[in-house]
Amino acid sequence: MNPLIFTTILMTVLLGTMIVMMSSHWLMIWIGFEMNLLAIIPILMKKYNPRTMEASTKYFLTQATASMLLMMAIIINLMHSGQWTITKVFNPTASIIMTSALAMKLGLTPFHFWVPEVTQGISLTSGLILLTWQKLAPMSILYQISPSINLNILLTMAVLSILVGGWGGLNQTQLRKIMAYSSIAHMGWMTAVLVYSPTLTMLNMLIYIMMTLTMFMLFIHSSSTTTLSLSHTWNKTPLTTTLILITLLSMGGLPPLSGFMPKWMIIQELTKNSSIILPTLMAIMALLNLYFYMRLTYSTSLTMFPSTNNMKMKWQFETKRITLLPPLIVMSSLLLPLTPMLSILD
Amino acid sequence: MMTYIVFILSVIFVISFVGFSSKPSPIYGGLVLIVSGGVGCGIIMNFGGSFLGLMVFLIYLGGMLVVFGYTTAMATEQYPEVWVSNTTVMGVFLLGLLMEVMLVLYVLKSEEVGVVFKFSGVGDWAIYDTGDSGVFSEEIMGVAALYSYGAWVVIVTGWSLLVGVLVILEVTRGD
Repeated sequence: MNPLIFTTILMTVLLGTMIVMMSSHWLMIWIGFEMNLLAIIPILMKKYNPRTMEASTKYFLTQATASMLLMMAIIINLMHSGQWTITKVFNPTASIIMTSALAMKLGLTPFHFWVPEVTQGISLTSGLILLTWQKLAPMSILYQISPSINLNILLTMAVLSILVGGWGGLNQTQLRKIMAYSSIAHMGWMTAVLVYSPTLTMLNMLIYIMMTLTMFMLFIHSSSTTTLSLSHTWNKTPLTTTLILITLLSMGGLPPLSGFMPKWMIIQELTKNSSIILPTLMAIMALLNLYFYMRLTYSTSLTMFPSTNNMKMKWQFETKRITLLPPLIVMSSLLLPLTPMLSILD
Repeated sequence: MMTYIVFILSVIFVISFVGFSSKPSPIYGGLVLIVSGGVGCGIIMNFGGSFLGLMVFLIYLGGMLVVFGYTTAMATEQYPEVWVSNTTVMGVFLLGLLMEVMLVLYVLKSEEVGVVFKFSGVGDWAIYDTGDSGVFSEEIMGVAALYSYGAWVVIVTGWSLLVGVLVILEVTRGD
């Protein structure tokens, strides 16, 4: 793609999300979502094969439907409150429709079916943008309407997302689909605590974005999209096998790594609000996630499968230089001792 | 009949939307878009918005739809689909027609419609009389406000349209 056009379109994706996050008028928020959706389609279709086109079409259809539902909720809100300012939503029907629309944009169950298929069909860099940046805009709107969200619907979607994210990822060997199911599960964790403490949603979003960025960059560095090709990284860059191990275990939520912090805080906040069965179920279902992360680490870092002799002297092409990788790795694994700093957020 | 003119026009509006949503060939979709544009203009004018109705005819029908018609004529196929040529298209059209007929009967029976929200009658664009600068209509003031207080909206929508063109060119360009 022409570099100037590509930069313009990428900047429009950023501009769309910025407009969503900083507008106070519902119509501008809707325009921001549409600008974001329109501009990301050619980024998803960077390579021209039928798979990327199918993935882009699926993404466009689901997100356009979600935007339509969002517009309907905005208009119902307008009819019942007479104003366009984004505060809480004044009508329960509008609130339910808006929550469903934003859940479709995020990929929460029962609207999660597009996430693995779209992530699988596009390149690793486009998948990176899809699973990290595109979650910011809907989450910011959920944060702003959080006082008026119907608790039953949101918690049902969150718990089902954690279940589907864990269970669906079990049978996958394609790395992009694994990351997609991991994204579904993490979105479930984020929305479960939204009504109780939106700050923790933002904390979880921050740490999730860091970990997902790290994972995708490690995959891009070793150019691997399947578990099999990931298991050959000991041959290309032996250091990244350790880094993959650490980051994957952090994503699984194991202490003493960063990924434990949001889960710990969320479980604590839920139990403070006298719901005990829910965080127990959520923690147990997160074990499913941990299982397929550990399976990846087993084949990548902990085991070297028998191979022919000439494979041990692999020809090294020029390695990709990924600038942000070392700081991201450090941040996605060593942030847990900073947990007491969360007290400044209150 | 004149008291119900908005209602009749809105029924024709919805029927023409059903007509192109049932996906005949694009040239026939353009045909019912012209009808729906004209009928929509009639609805707006009945609320007192003569300027916006003129905008619909000039810019929407006379500008955008003409361009759409020409591009569709360039990309037309040998045997285009009509509503009666394909069972699926006719089935969807009849289904939409049936839904609209049931809604019309529901509206005519009861005073107000309460499907998702209560809806009984519509308002008008108010005509202000401020006393010092004469009488002016709210609808034209809205257009003026778009270019003064709403400058950010103009910038954002203008940029969206420009990027829309860039995106469409990029997507259809291929390799």
